[in-house]
Amino acid sequence: MKGRALAALGRWVDAPQPIERLAFLRIVIPLATLGFLSSRLIHAPDWLGTRAFHVPCLGHEDWRQAACLPALPDALAWAIAIATVIAGVALAIGFLTRAAALAFASLVIYLVLSDRLEAFTVTKIAPALSLALAASACGARYGVDAWRARRKAGAGAQPTHARGGVIRFFQVFLIVMYSGSGLAKLRGGWLSSDVLWSHVHDDYQSWVAWTLVRILPGAGWQALQYLTLAFEVGAPLWFAYRRTRLPALFVGLGMHAMIGLMFGPVVWFALLMAGLLVGSYAPEAWLLRLFRARAAA
Amino acid sequence: MTNLRRAVGVVAALYLLAVWLDAVRVTAVERVLPPPARQFVQVAELFPTAAPFVIDWRARGWSCATHQFAEIDLRPLFPIRPNDKESRFARAMFFYRRERPVLEALDDFVTRAHNRLEPDNPIGGVLLLSLRIPIPPPGSAVERYQRRPIEEYPATVERHVWYTTSPAERQARCTEGP
Repeated sequence: MKGRALAALGRWVDAPQPIERLAFLRIVIPLATLGFLSSRLIHAPDWLGTRAFHVPCLGHEDWRQAACLPALPDALAWAIAIATVIAGVALAIGFLTRAAALAFASLVIYLVLSDRLEAFTVTKIAPALSLALAASACGARYGVDAWRARRKAGAGAQPTHARGGVIRFFQVFLIVMYSGSGLAKLRGGWLSSDVLWSHVHDDYQSWVAWTLVRILPGAGWQALQYLTLAFEVGAPLWFAYRRTRLPALFVGLGMHAMIGLMFGPVVWFALLMAGLLVGSYAPEAWLLRLFRARAAA
Repeated sequence: MTNLRRAVGVVAALYLLAVWLDAVRVTAVERVLPPPARQFVQVAELFPTAAPFVIDWRARGWSCATHQFAEIDLRPLFPIRPNDKESRFARAMFFYRRERPVLEALDDFVTRAHNRLEPDNPIGGVLLLSLRIPIPPPGSAVERYQRRPIEEYPATVERHVWYTTSPAERQARCTEGP
């Protein structure tokens, strides 16, 4: 029984997946991360350098201070910022893909550990996502590496599918994020208080949020709250069943669109999650149309 | 190769499990993982509770000329996302408002940086505070958020002081000059 279950799990994990999923994620993950980092990277000396404010080493184990790394000379701060951009762009265009993914993951890990003040969800999840890309064949098509390989070896059949393991990782990652977040909301105040309403009044407030604050009645905020909760807590079911997968994809994209439009700087997190959703769960035909129509053009 | 793939698969599965367990507050994850690794799994517990207030972090500087506290604009001193709560000052106050050594370091940084930028208007220290702006009930008429000087907020907005530079330190800095 146990052996059969393990074998079925192995078959599910290894089932080939269209290479376009990996190519899409290879583009979205570093670009959304760089988009988030852009407002920091352009101020590298005021972030990593000696002229920035740095939290002193507290000298005791502190959940906010995972490591105590020294401030960098301004030139080195700029070098790290530029290297992060180069690694991210190289990964997105599929140039020296594996090395670029490893370098990008390493640099973002450093950025997170060196400074808690600028560590946000986007940069905390980007290293794992980039390492997953490094473990995959995401550069095998639709990128510079693939183009160079074709030039060297001549026109031949291009890979259409890749081993499924890494795609499964991204699919499960989303479910873990949604259901973990949903259960945390359930245990928090999402059933009993006006959580969503309470978060749209500060300096994250966008024009869209302000418009909704004016036109949406109290019951509307509750409805949005319950929809979010149902989507997130039920994510393992919605994405496991073929029939509910596509509606769940649309609800998820709608939720991320709302987050991106309502909470100013959170747009990069919304784009990253929406990109992960599309790359992981969009119907194969959509991705084929997106990539092959572009390749044919 | 198969063994390597299996090992990578196990690590990936453990990472996913840790992210989920952390979100649902299974504290064993914190006990097992070293602090640097913990940060990377604390990612899924997003906005679980309602905000009781809108919190705005501010500072007043002790003017060496007038011997009074007056609000100072921190945005030139913290140029990364200066207009929202992702500013380094707001983040430092959010995480470390009860950590005296961090507040002293902030005091030192803000005083020096302000005096470098405005040498003709030196300050001898700071008063670090938060404004607690009440959130109205859902559906009620609400003003659009806009950053205002501290003095323009009504008395219903609580001013909570977290740190003040000692009078002796202020005096010493003002005597030293920039």
